Amino acid sequence: MEEQMVETDVLCIGGGIAGLMAAIRASELGAKVVVAEKGHALHSGRGRDGNDHFETYIPEVHGIDRAAFIEELLRTAKGEVSLSHEIFRAQFAKAFDIVKLWDSWGIPMKYKGKWEFAGHSFPGRAMTHIKYSGHMQKKVLIQQAIDRGVEIMNRVMGFELLRDGDGIIGALAAHTREDKVIVFRAKAVILATGKCSRLYPSLTPGWMFNDPHGGGVTGDGRAMAYRVGAQLHNVEMPQRHIGPKYFPKFGQATWVGVLKDAQGKPVGTFAPKPDRKYGDMIMEVNKLVCEQYTQSGKGPVYMDCTDMTDEDYEYMMYWMVQEGNISLLDHMKEEGIDIRRHPIEFATYPLRFGGLIVANAGAETNLKGLYAAGDEAFGDISAAATFGWIGGENAARYAKEIEAPDVERHRATIEEKKISLDRLRGRQEGPDWEEANIALQQVMYDYAGSVRNKALLQQGLSHLQRLKKKIDTTMIARNPHELAHCLEVLNMFELGELVFIMALDRKETRSLHVRPDYPFTNPLLDQAHIIQTMDGKPVIQWKPF
Amino acid sequence: MPPIIDSSECTACGRCVEICAEDVFYGSKKGEIPIVTYPRECVHCSCCVYECPVGAIRVRIPLPAMTVYKPTQEKSQ
Ligand SMILES: Cc1cc2nc3c(=O)[nH]c(=O)nc-3n(C[C@H](O)[C@H](O)[C@H](O)COP(=O)(O)OP(=O)(O)OC[C@H]3O[C@@H](n4cnc5c(N)ncnc54)[C@H](O)[C@@H]3O)c2cc1C
Ligand code: SF4
Ligand code: SF4
Repeated sequence: MEEQMVETDVLCIGGGIAGLMAAIRASELGAKVVVAEKGHALHSGRGRDGNDHFETYIPEVHGIDRAAFIEELLRTAKGEVSLSHEIFRAQFAKAFDIVKLWDSWGIPMKYKGKWEFAGHSFPGRAMTHIKYSGHMQKKVLIQQAIDRGVEIMNRVMGFELLRDGDGIIGALAAHTREDKVIVFRAKAVILATGKCSRLYPSLTPGWMFNDPHGGGVTGDGRAMAYRVGAQLHNVEMPQRHIGPKYFPKFGQATWVGVLKDAQGKPVGTFAPKPDRKYGDMIMEVNKLVCEQYTQSGKGPVYMDCTDMTDEDYEYMMYWMVQEGNISLLDHMKEEGIDIRRHPIEFATYPLRFGGLIVANAGAETNLKGLYAAGDEAFGDISAAATFGWIGGENAARYAKEIEAPDVERHRATIEEKKISLDRLRGRQEGPDWEEANIALQQVMYDYAGSVRNKALLQQGLSHLQRLKKKIDTTMIARNPHELAHCLEVLNMFELGELVFIMALDRKETRSLHVRPDYPFTNPLLDQAHIIQTMDGKPVIQWKPF
Repeated sequence: MPPIIDSSECTACGRCVEICAEDVFYGSKKGEIPIVTYPRECVHCSCCVYECPVGAIRVRIPLPAMTVYKPTQEKSQ
């Protein structure tokens, strides 16, 4: 395997919203910055084709009491992930500055000259999200990065971090089009690899890339971080979402309609008729509603926009494009589906991995020189942009203070990793990444679904570990593209294993972690459930937020 | 076959090969009409469709991903 050495002050792994924002800020502060992007940054990640809601506090709108705004968020939409208030405070102290920056860079943050608040908020309560025209956001961010001298390396997949003592000194990456390993010698590394899409089966299990996250986000950052001793939390707590069936697309709050049963009766109580300002908050309150209706014999459930006005239709179509749903619109048009006449069936989407890297309000992890931002640590656009920025700032400052690290001291590790890639490329017979990925999804679905108990989890874990051992010595990669997929699958096996370990350890029922053997929510466990590896073994702790 | 290239329109400029995040066109050669090597890895984002300077690509949504809708025109109450 050929090797290329790249030296930089700051390395951003992932060229999504958080990675690009980190790169822009670090570069602005004088650091040499490289972004390693697995796909091509222009249309990669969850922001690939746009987003339209940006969560922000605006003093002139919300009043000067920022704490009251944060209280409102904690009471409503953001209740899902428990995080320290310190993180919210940091986000909303900065988010509006980012809004103004983006607007000045050419991402329109106003609508018809004004802040347009809509969606993700309850009628009568404080509005928390502005609508913004994000369709071209990645193009703009890339240009800003390039203007500041950032180097973006596309088709480069980070797969291993290099640790020296208690700090990170670089990373290894595989080129996805050539047989080449890139050794990054970096003073600081920012992980921004996004969500994890293919650990559990998709809405269309026979078609695994039909996933609203896209295919390229596979939890690599979490797996890399864990292997070198960074802390993860929320690992066993799955997430679910809701949206159109069977062409899964996010953007629930962009629909101007009412979620109704087959008889036309609203399933929630928030929206009697289509309302462009609030949408239908039932989807925020209960993402399981479609599944519950179907399972109790009351399905299907539809997104019904048939009562909308012509102006609302134009409004929604504009925002669907900004939200990155242009392909769904094209598909509906081609099929003769018109939302003004046809209610669209909605589904509760399957389980998704919800694990996060533990990072503080400065995007710092427990390891020196390692930062994490965006969906990797705490997601949505506002958080990705804000903590990307903050992480980039802190990484650049840290990089200024330290000497260039010596990765050659870790030559043995580098060679060992190269040999493991050569082995994957060299084998002629054996399961390919897809076969391994399907086997993994099967175990996760059957043994680490929402309802779990000790015996089920133990059985699933032992089967997963057997599979993992097998693929370690048999998986094949026919070319560099497949090699990258193999590395993704190995990462996901690692994360899957952690889901089992942490689900066994969480002896209570909470949210989507349902343990009939521990049927109650334990208030004493209102804490972060953290896992990290020490001396090659997983160590678990509970820690107050 | 999610992305479909009309070879009579395609100028082999390579833009779609360059930008597809999933690298569905992996292995395509410079100056030649792209090949759709990994159709099942297409995430149906249509970014290639809108990046193609001559409109030579369309994305066929595979049958399992077809949108489900109520065919009636009934107005709900
Ligand atoms: C259709 C849609 C609509 C949405 N709408 C909204 C909205 O309106 N408002 C909102 O707040 N949020 C919205 N979201 C969520 C939002 O897009 C994400 O929270 C945000 O993009 C997260 O940014 P990120 O940088 O963390 O991850 P991403 O933008 O997903 O970027 C991750 C990047 O890392 C790359 N990568 C992954 N692994 C590696 C690796 N090993 N090496 C190198 N690179 C790697 C990926 O290719 C990708 O480019 C939406 C999501 C979708 C899918
Ligand atoms: S639709 Fe998206 S994923 Fe599919 S080939 Fe085009 S750019 Fe690639
Ligand atoms: S972008 Fe269009 S013209 Fe260019 S190679 Fe692709 S299909 Fe052909």
